Amino acid sequence: MSPLENSKVTRMIILGPSANISQSELVRKLHMMELPLTIKSTCYGAAVSGEEDVVKKAIDGVRELDPYNIFSKDRGFPPGDPRRCRAKRGGAREGFHQLEKEFELLDAVSNALEHPQKVSLKKAKKVSPEEFKEIAEEN
Amino acid sequence: MKIAIFPPNSLILADLVERRGHEPLVLQREIRKRVTTPEIDSPPLNMTEEDPIKGLKYAAIEVPSGVRGRMALLGPLIEEADAAIIMEDAPFGFGCVGCARTNELCMFNLRKKNIPVLELKYPTNREETKEVVNKINTFLDSLEEKNG
Repeated sequence: MSPLENSKVTRMIILGPSANISQSELVRKLHMMELPLTIKSTCYGAAVSGEEDVVKKAIDGVRELDPYNIFSKDRGFPPGDPRRCRAKRGGAREGFHQLEKEFELLDAVSNALEHPQKVSLKKAKKVSPEEFKEIAEEN
Repeated sequence: MKIAIFPPNSLILADLVERRGHEPLVLQREIRKRVTTPEIDSPPLNMTEEDPIKGLKYAAIEVPSGVRGRMALLGPLIEEADAAIIMEDAPFGFGCVGCARTNELCMFNLRKKNIPVLELKYPTNREETKEVVNKINTFLDSLEEKNG
């Protein structure tokens, strides 16, 4: 492994269930950007690896295609790393199970991002016994 | 601002934090340092004997070495945090975050740090998910207001 490898970052681009682009379209768009990146097409979207600022530029670029349905997260291991790659392990890589679980919620997440609502972060107050008595007597 | 998230490898939390222009303190960042840095036993996949020693800063010697080893990864992230979002009862309690005691220790450290903390339960249905997303966005926006 070259010392240069050290400065590289890897990110996963995950398409939400209601995304209006496919994995192949996503990868094509990434290639069309002509950035110095390693791009890997995956079942959830794509994995990109390269210098941090270049990766950020690529992520910002693809997010524009469908801002509420394209998600991204960091990955520790480089794409195709034999220690983690599914092809060598003979089973799903460790992080996949978590991704699968969170994927179930992504549709609702994108819906909430598209239609934001105001919420209060204050905890609901407890009802005092007097107040509770009043409510009970009313009914 | 640097936001610690818990679980530290959550896609939803990391993505939402980034969308609001903050930096999520994710576990993968620490993992990357370990698996891509060339060293004598390069690159180490697992913990080295140094890690439980580093973890002593966060947990006592009586604590199992697994907790101390994990804290060597998670401790520096907690130290950097300016705010935190904790999502309890997440179903993915395996892999690097598969240790219940480490999870408890991390949450305890985040809570006692005296930083703004948002505590949530892992959503199980559509309505809860929407509420969680709105709460996270409101929390992140309020951090911006506090910092001008």
